[in-house]
Amino acid sequence: MLGLLATLPWWAGDQYQIHLAALIAVYWILVAGLNLVVGFTGQLSIGHVGLLAIGAYAFAILAGRYEWSPWIALLASGSIGGVCGLLLGLPSLRLPGFYFAMATMAFALIVAEITLALGDLTGGGVGLAVPGFSAPFDSPAGFYLLLLGIAALITWFTWNVARFPWGRALVAIRDNPVAAESVGVPVFRMKLAVFVLSGITAGVAGALFASLQSYITPDTFVFELGLFFFVCIIIGGRSSIVGPLVGTAVLTALPELVAPLAKLGNLFYGVLLLAVVLLVPEGIGRLFEVLLARLRPERAASHVLEPDTERLAAAIRKGRDA
Amino acid sequence: MTALLAERVSKRFGGLTALDAVSLTVEPGEVHGLIGPNGSGKTTLLNLLSGFYQVDEGSVRLDAEDLSGAAVQRRARLGIARTFQKPRLLGSQTVLENAMLGGWRDRSAGLLSTALSLPRVRREQRMLRDRAAELLAGLGLGHALNRRANLLEHAEQRFLEIARALALRPRFILLDEPAGGLTGAEIERLGAVIRTLRDGGIGVLLVEHHTEFVFGISDRVTTLNLGRLLRHGTPQEVRNDPEVIRVYLGA
Amino acid sequence: MLGVIVTGLAIGALYAATALAYNVMYSTSKVLSVTTGHLAMLGGVFGAWFVTALGWPPLLALPAALVVGAFAGWLTDVIAIRRVLKRSDEHLWLLSTLALATIVQQGVGLWWGTEPKPFPRLLPQDFSSGIADQKYWLPIATTVLMALALELFYRRTLYGKLFIAMSEDTFAARARGIETDRIRSTSFAIAGALGALAGFAAGQLTFAFFALGLTLTLNGFIALAVGGLGSNVGALVGGAALGLLNTISANLIGGEYQNTVSVGALMLILLLKPEGIFGARNVRPV
Repeated sequence: MLGLLATLPWWAGDQYQIHLAALIAVYWILVAGLNLVVGFTGQLSIGHVGLLAIGAYAFAILAGRYEWSPWIALLASGSIGGVCGLLLGLPSLRLPGFYFAMATMAFALIVAEITLALGDLTGGGVGLAVPGFSAPFDSPAGFYLLLLGIAALITWFTWNVARFPWGRALVAIRDNPVAAESVGVPVFRMKLAVFVLSGITAGVAGALFASLQSYITPDTFVFELGLFFFVCIIIGGRSSIVGPLVGTAVLTALPELVAPLAKLGNLFYGVLLLAVVLLVPEGIGRLFEVLLARLRPERAASHVLEPDTERLAAAIRKGRDA
Repeated sequence: MTALLAERVSKRFGGLTALDAVSLTVEPGEVHGLIGPNGSGKTTLLNLLSGFYQVDEGSVRLDAEDLSGAAVQRRARLGIARTFQKPRLLGSQTVLENAMLGGWRDRSAGLLSTALSLPRVRREQRMLRDRAAELLAGLGLGHALNRRANLLEHAEQRFLEIARALALRPRFILLDEPAGGLTGAEIERLGAVIRTLRDGGIGVLLVEHHTEFVFGISDRVTTLNLGRLLRHGTPQEVRNDPEVIRVYLGA
Repeated sequence: MLGVIVTGLAIGALYAATALAYNVMYSTSKVLSVTTGHLAMLGGVFGAWFVTALGWPPLLALPAALVVGAFAGWLTDVIAIRRVLKRSDEHLWLLSTLALATIVQQGVGLWWGTEPKPFPRLLPQDFSSGIADQKYWLPIATTVLMALALELFYRRTLYGKLFIAMSEDTFAARARGIETDRIRSTSFAIAGALGALAGFAAGQLTFAFFALGLTLTLNGFIALAVGGLGSNVGALVGGAALGLLNTISANLIGGEYQNTVSVGALMLILLLKPEGIFGARNVRPV
């Protein structure tokens, strides 16, 4: 799959398709991290566009005005995104769901407000030109391959988090925080850790996004973009990585390919979100799971619950000696 | 041998005193029954021991170590496990996943090593999986490892909660009405499980309405009424106590 | 300075009215709806449309705008709440109301346009009255009357008492034979009408603007959280305080940091008193 995607520049119809694929990769870098927060830990952040903007402006200022190497600026953008994630998460992650969502939305509005106000630094409403990366990543195809590589790496990270015990506990925090606490899971610390990670990926995505667009203004980072990231995850499905990945790709490409949808814009995302929440609240990914399960039905084994006390005693003994 | 102690603990909610200077000791390798009418403070006491509530007065200790004020997580790491009146499972996760969660304190890998899937992470996952599978087999859930937990029957859910608590390798396990909603035959099997825990050296606190079950299985019994200690002793002593009979058991 | 205070109170009145609408819906459903601010936005946009485009007199436009608001509120319950509350999933209503709010806002944006349009004069008054202008006192007076009417409604009418019974214990209310679905729908329709009324009254201040909904959803919520969830007195105090904070800070450090100041104040209050100034503290149940 990855190999096929890597050859895209050689079979794509035109430059625009490569640009679109690059945009999907950038969005996915952010969504992959956000997915751990929203899809796995169940913290409904609708304001990640704020962190994207911070990464983008950090990159534009450091690599553009101060002429840092783009690579160093990229690392710096990721770090700044992480720090801002920490600063946002510390007060807000303790709040109940609606409060948290409002706090993240407010954060996005605050970032927009500040980028507009700090004209000396950000160019205000006029915006900033953003430099590209050095060869061989200065061509559209080269930059696309760089984005694909970073996206693949981050996908691998989140896939690992999703399947090993530390990440499985995130699902416990989402579905039953009381049960998670009762076995010792440090709920707040873990929420904060994934939130900071999502800040880093948002910062990195912001830097790459800015470089891809080559010019940014506060209008690039409207609140609806944050909503879009969020919708990609909800539609793709909870505790899934493939679902949100497909969601991001389809939702990014669809309005570009189907003109009437572009006109409807965010209305389309709203309708889609409502339909998914009402019809398949666990996301379209879950729909496929259910269909698969239908295809190979489990034997409805009516089992008598019969403990094997000797085996239980052995297991407990083993635990004591461990 | 370490014991889990509540010493003259009190808990108030607003103006209401839910518990008033109650003491209780759970020794390792014993079943300690805790009974009383509705609203007598049984579950409140369990919540004080497990850390979901904090004491207003008195102390909770693990021998000399003062746990009053310690978070739930710290008590879990010290080996105090619990189950819930209404089973609290991860409905969308498999039975095996649910039980593995209990082994949390024995894994050390954090976010970074997990993201990189270091060998240690894989090793720990195997260890937790093997342990959970063994416990589930011992509890009679070996056939359902990959079933979603919300598809389990009620008794299976209760036993899965016990499996999760046992995966913590607890020194003490606090069971909140584990027999609730079980059939007679299932209660018998639950009894066999609880005896196995006790024989394995675990201290069991059994909060239960089903008094016959409690008297039949407990080594010692404590009775609460209106937030106060009513009687404490062997099952024989408690069930023949005139005061206990008057307020709880009925003539 | 007096001008700053009056403007602040007028804006604050709109925030307070939004917070009241939050409370009305919350009392019967325990849901905080993202659409709350949009209800007020609809009042402003439809009010302006009825008067300027259709040429209706304000006395006809007002009840018509209230009907639109009530319908939108009722629709919120039918589409985004009713089905979702039946599931055990906790925060699904947040998603469904967010989706509906997006649909309403973007739909209005497509139909009405994304530029703020002026709202007609409601009363004959020239523009020389300064701070005594109707655009300031109309929203203030409306919100005060609204709060008084709500108080009477809760204390004196059967329906109001049913609301209170439901807010205290929905299950018990249902067990006693109260039709909780119908009460909830009614409360959402009432909240919709109240929101539209506030949006209508403050139209000259805010203009008829599609994006006002989200701003009010946030600021109404801040007023609510500062004042204390569920408390109508808290909603009034929180709204007034937030409005004053907005205009005074804009006067001192400039208007560019309005959201930053408001949210900063909210975080400070939540840090000091998580349940808000007039809110009730809850014990966590296990």
